[in-house]
Amino acid sequence: MKATIENVKEVIVEADVLGNVDEMKSDVALSEQGIDSLDVVNVYLLLEEKFEISIPDEDLLQVKSIDAIVEYINKKID
Amino acid sequence: MLGIKQIASYLPERKKSNYDKKEKFALDDDFIENKIGVKYHCVKEDDEKASDLSVKAFENLLKKIDIEKENIDCCVVVTQNPDYNIPHTSAVVHGKLELSMNCACYDISLGCSGYVYGLSNILAFMKSNGLKHGLLFTADPYSEIIDHEDKNTDLIFGDGATVTYISENALYIPTSFKFGTNGKDYKEILCDDKLYMNGRAVFSFTATMIPKHIQSLLVENDLDDSDIDKYILHQGSKYIVDTIRKRLKVDVSKVPFDMYEYGNTVSSAVPIILEKELDNNHKRLLLSAYGIGLSWASAIIEKN
Repeated sequence: MKATIENVKEVIVEADVLGNVDEMKSDVALSEQGIDSLDVVNVYLLLEEKFEISIPDEDLLQVKSIDAIVEYINKKID
Repeated sequence: MLGIKQIASYLPERKKSNYDKKEKFALDDDFIENKIGVKYHCVKEDDEKASDLSVKAFENLLKKIDIEKENIDCCVVVTQNPDYNIPHTSAVVHGKLELSMNCACYDISLGCSGYVYGLSNILAFMKSNGLKHGLLFTADPYSEIIDHEDKNTDLIFGDGATVTYISENALYIPTSFKFGTNGKDYKEILCDDKLYMNGRAVFSFTATMIPKHIQSLLVENDLDDSDIDKYILHQGSKYIVDTIRKRLKVDVSKVPFDMYEYGNTVSSAVPIILEKELDNNHKRLLLSAYGIGLSWASAIIEKN
């Protein structure tokens, strides 16, 4: 399955974070939009499970925003 | 049949507040209360050791139940912060409590999963050797190994100890245990000099492994959620307890969260809550503890 902005946002909703995910900007870091450090690791875990990939700690700088996550995942599954 | 007759705990009166660390670690109240779940953590006195905390837990046990100390024939201490490298802390506790010389003593080196392992171990040891009156202590004073500049650990851990009295005519009998280990990831929680914890790795481990492990234990015993009155989970953080509960699809009322005022007491976390639930007339409880090792263990205990 290809990653899209929509299905990444679905994962963020599933992670039960505070706030309106529909209003999140895809090009701004999750941490700058009210998603704290614990919620972020939950989002990464759910992404790993949904897309059956691994996001190692050394790649975390590459997955800070929704756009970056989409690009990262699609590179991984290609 | 041998089982859990009574539990007592000891939490030091001295406390540190996480609200005082808000600026240092850039925290807000919501993160402290609803994510970490620790407002204050207990800190032992500087000269107190694991054995001292254990003795105080035992003194609290004597306030709840009459115990003839000379009848105690087994004394086990679960700790990874022993008084000394040599000897075992259970021998020190034995000496301080002036127990009988006919008492078996040994330590168990396990962290968060230690109480459930310890429960299985002491019951098996006592049964196979005809022993009748056992004490299972948990005492892991983490204040000695915390790096106060490390947000991942400084906000979470608290000192404490418990003692579980094992004897006949018990309140609860453990009926099933299940254990697991992932030694390949032992470095994710490590103490060489000071404690290190990879918070992301520990979260991922608990969120993925523990719900499946608990479900397997239920299936193996032909039980489902409706058969369990309460799930007593290791209090790693509120976020971890909430995540496991949500993944198990269990109602929040069945999963106590209790460590706001004292912190994560490692192997004491489960028995501290179990002590509070002992008199609540539950039919069946599920205990689950997980962490350092990586190690995990769960048990089903039933009212006797």
